Amino acid sequence: MSAILSADDLNDFISPGVACIKPIETLPAHPPESNSNAYEVTTEEHATASQPRTPAQISLTDCLACSGCVTSAEAVLVQLQSHNEVLSTLDAHPSLRTPWLAHNGTNGKLNNILNGVNGHYQQEGKLFVASVSPQTRASLAALFSVSEVEAGNMINQLLSGASGLRASGVHGSDFTWVIDTNIVREACLVAAADEVASTLSPDVTPSSSTGFEGAIDTTPKQPILTSACPGWICYAEKTHPEILPHLSRLKSPQALTGTLLKSVLSQRYNVPPSQIWHLAIMPCFDKKLEASRSELTSTAWLPNHDTTHDPVRDVDCVITARELLHLASARNISFSSLPRSPLPSSSRIPFPDPSIDAFLFPPRRKNQSVLAGPSGGYMYHILRTYQAQHPGSEISESPGRNADVVVYSLTQGSKSIIKTARYYGFRNIQNLVRGLKPAKVSKLPGARMGVSRRPGGSSAAARESVKDYAYVEVMACPGGCTNGGGQIKVSEVEEVRALEGIQSVNRETTVGRPGLTEQKEWLRRVDEAYFSGSDEESADEDGDLNMVEPEASKLNGLLDEDVVNGISRSYIHNMISHWSGITGVSTQDLLYTSYRKVESDVGKKKQSDVERVAGLASALGGGW
Amino acid sequence: MSSLQIQPLATLSPPSNSRCWQSVPHPSQPLIATACSDKTVRVFSLTSFTLLHSISGGHKRSVRSVSWKPHTKGQSVLATGSFDASAGIWRRVERGPEEDFTRHGRDDDEEEDDEDYQFSCILDGHEHEIKSIVWSPSGQYLATCSRDKSVWIWEELEDDNFETVAVLQEHDQDVKCVAWHPEEDLLASASYDDTIRLYREDQDDWVQVCCINGHSETVWCIEFEGSGMGEKDFRAQKGELSEEQIQHIELLERSGPRLASCSDDSTVRIWRRQPKEGADHANGHAGVPSIIRSFSVDEEWVEDAVLPQRHDRVIYSISWSRKSGLLASTGSDGKIVIYKERWKEQISNGVTAAGVDKVVNGIEAPSRHRMTEWVVAAELYSAHDVFEVNHAVWAKRCDKGRRSDDEEIIVSTGDDGEVKAWTVEEVKPQAGG
Repeated sequence: MSAILSADDLNDFISPGVACIKPIETLPAHPPESNSNAYEVTTEEHATASQPRTPAQISLTDCLACSGCVTSAEAVLVQLQSHNEVLSTLDAHPSLRTPWLAHNGTNGKLNNILNGVNGHYQQEGKLFVASVSPQTRASLAALFSVSEVEAGNMINQLLSGASGLRASGVHGSDFTWVIDTNIVREACLVAAADEVASTLSPDVTPSSSTGFEGAIDTTPKQPILTSACPGWICYAEKTHPEILPHLSRLKSPQALTGTLLKSVLSQRYNVPPSQIWHLAIMPCFDKKLEASRSELTSTAWLPNHDTTHDPVRDVDCVITARELLHLASARNISFSSLPRSPLPSSSRIPFPDPSIDAFLFPPRRKNQSVLAGPSGGYMYHILRTYQAQHPGSEISESPGRNADVVVYSLTQGSKSIIKTARYYGFRNIQNLVRGLKPAKVSKLPGARMGVSRRPGGSSAAARESVKDYAYVEVMACPGGCTNGGGQIKVSEVEEVRALEGIQSVNRETTVGRPGLTEQKEWLRRVDEAYFSGSDEESADEDGDLNMVEPEASKLNGLLDEDVVNGISRSYIHNMISHWSGITGVSTQDLLYTSYRKVESDVGKKKQSDVERVAGLASALGGGW
Repeated sequence: MSSLQIQPLATLSPPSNSRCWQSVPHPSQPLIATACSDKTVRVFSLTSFTLLHSISGGHKRSVRSVSWKPHTKGQSVLATGSFDASAGIWRRVERGPEEDFTRHGRDDDEEEDDEDYQFSCILDGHEHEIKSIVWSPSGQYLATCSRDKSVWIWEELEDDNFETVAVLQEHDQDVKCVAWHPEEDLLASASYDDTIRLYREDQDDWVQVCCINGHSETVWCIEFEGSGMGEKDFRAQKGELSEEQIQHIELLERSGPRLASCSDDSTVRIWRRQPKEGADHANGHAGVPSIIRSFSVDEEWVEDAVLPQRHDRVIYSISWSRKSGLLASTGSDGKIVIYKERWKEQISNGVTAAGVDKVVNGIEAPSRHRMTEWVVAAELYSAHDVFEVNHAVWAKRCDKGRRSDDEEIIVSTGDDGEVKAWTVEEVKPQAGG
């Protein structure tokens, strides 16, 4: 109708560039409907639309995982990681058993063997290893109304037990080890505290040999921001590159588990990384993206890496709790009827290196205390580390604008030692990121600068406070990792329970779309399961704030400086140097990683030839 | 039969040579700001109908939407939403006679800029084009919506210090428009997914409290009824009202301001909230009590009216007069239509009489929802020649020709880059009209 309609303004219409990865996650279960409107661009949109709406709290994470964050190449990588991928890999390869007994190699021999194993040998057997997040156990525990320990046992039974995956499949392959990522997290926590200490140290030189700001060998800027949440990392790299210098260089527990397994087994025991197949079971779809990062492959730590070999990922496949259930049912295993007891210790295959075996499989399982929060407890561990170094210091907590923002400060008398905070959820991330922006960047380029009519500016003071934090535990999901996007959702509970043939334990049956109350109740139960493994008292059902009081004596008591929150720093340090020693890889290459600004072409329209010609024509006064 | 006539008053000058999207009158000054696809905002005088300021240099792409912050003292604050995915906040000191204006440490050409709107901060966060931006009536919140399917709520803690208080991702498609309830912190959004959604703060989270499905195509624009309209619209003429008319007025009072929406489906619809208190027994309403939420923040909005269909293409914009209760719509067909609500004639009409009987018997009357009717009061064709009209809005008449303090004009904004002012006059009924 309009005569002056121009290509430049054709923006009120959805273009294919705005595809979202949400459909990728859900497509297998919900094929696109055929009656989609021809004017709507993607059929995936309809697949999403036709499903029951995701509860609001969870859907907030979707914005982190949508178009702007995912290139099509990444989307393919994510798609490849499914329970079907697990099944087909298990069927394609027999389990590789105790190969280190066969060749008792050394570092020197490794590369020769690695090169020799090209081709046939590699295809024969694989050493299957799984690592399981505590949040996944909590989700399954809440679903089946068992304890978190029992849920962990059931997972072990499925992956390694006699009645599990081994019982069927082409080769009867199963997982040699199932590792609790909480164990490896202890190394992450200690290293995170060390990283904060080095950033706050006055003689820090934030220079990098490679010169880019997210490099592995830079010390992050204060405040250090957690890097264990892949949704947050993805968003930061693509949307807020100015934040990268603040990111913790530390690998996530998932990534570190992968590096530990593959580096030790390959460098010390001659199992090439490509023959180790590492499955991670995580609360989060975005962990699949993390597993696909080129930074987290054998290239990062293999000495003298031969560029003719394809880099091997430290984590080969990531699935979620729901996909684990699909995995079981695909092999006709009823997850709920798996034994809840631990695997017999007689069947346990020790990790070849005794020290690492002792580290990975400690006799007593530890879980996070409620105060550590639902996302691994980075910030809490750092606080406690500082507290241990400052006898008599006290931790005080002040709630933020909403439940997902909490600020902590450690004070000794009137002296403030360290301030940290927890920022969960996308809206709070927005405020954090804005607070960290240098004032000038937040101005529109090219515009006349306004003069703030309010001198000094209390707003400047407000921004300072974010910069004052030493550490911020940032997680994309409101409610943290127990509320991860890959966890079983409240809307799925009844369906999954029905599939598993079990009755709802509670008499309440949700009709239609569960509301916010049901959502919060479900999340509370997952949290309860998550914290139940704690060797301290279990979660107070009434919420967080009440727990500060009874815990206060414990919190503020005198602590041995070495053992923080049940984790011995010296033990972890020794373990890390042992690891570095037996692999011949520097601790930097083992523990740390790097981040990069990702240029997204989404939203930046590529000019087609036609448009360019049309543009030229109209510039010359012509027109079409 | 039309009872009003739309007459050209002025074309604001100079016109832009590219498409203009929206024109928003200043809440207190005789000014109107036009969002323009040439990346500028043009501020016109409503007394002289000439350009006063051109706000440029900020946005990299089309400015799609603007909103004046209400209740500002001594300054005008304008929020701009752009296709460059950012929102801008601009300020201009309005120098009243009493204003003590001091300048220091600034060089000469900046002093001249004092006359201009100063860019003061940017709100980043949306991934794609911002489609609509609007301040809440209190000025505490700013809402934006975007092609990225999200609706954001920002809170201005102090000047230029904004915090994201919510990112609402309920829509499945491009979100076209956001609007605030005039009395409550209740936000509505309209989308390409054909729905209207309403949000409210529950504990410390903003949550969707209602989803209105009723339009069969994209909902382009939504606007709430003004506050206290019972004193100004058809309800104002008291006396000689029937029992059920009085009941209907009471119902409207309990419902609060209604919501109007317009769509690609060529209809304008009015939605009314079902009053919560006593809704289950007093009115005997059939609504199933919520079994989902114990303390429900959910609201139920029902269709109150479908306006006579006079557009044969997309309706882009509606405006509900705060003074008269008249509703104006415009769109792709270039027409401007004014609708008026009035009591349905009851006694002489046998059809509605049946409904009256039911009410008398104390049973719910289906016809109660249609106690009133909307009629077309005026129609104007080709308001912007052959071009689409993107926006039409009621504004206070401020030029010399105004006939009363309350007189309102309509300002239309078109693809031709023109912004036009129109008077709306009563016409004597003519035979054969």
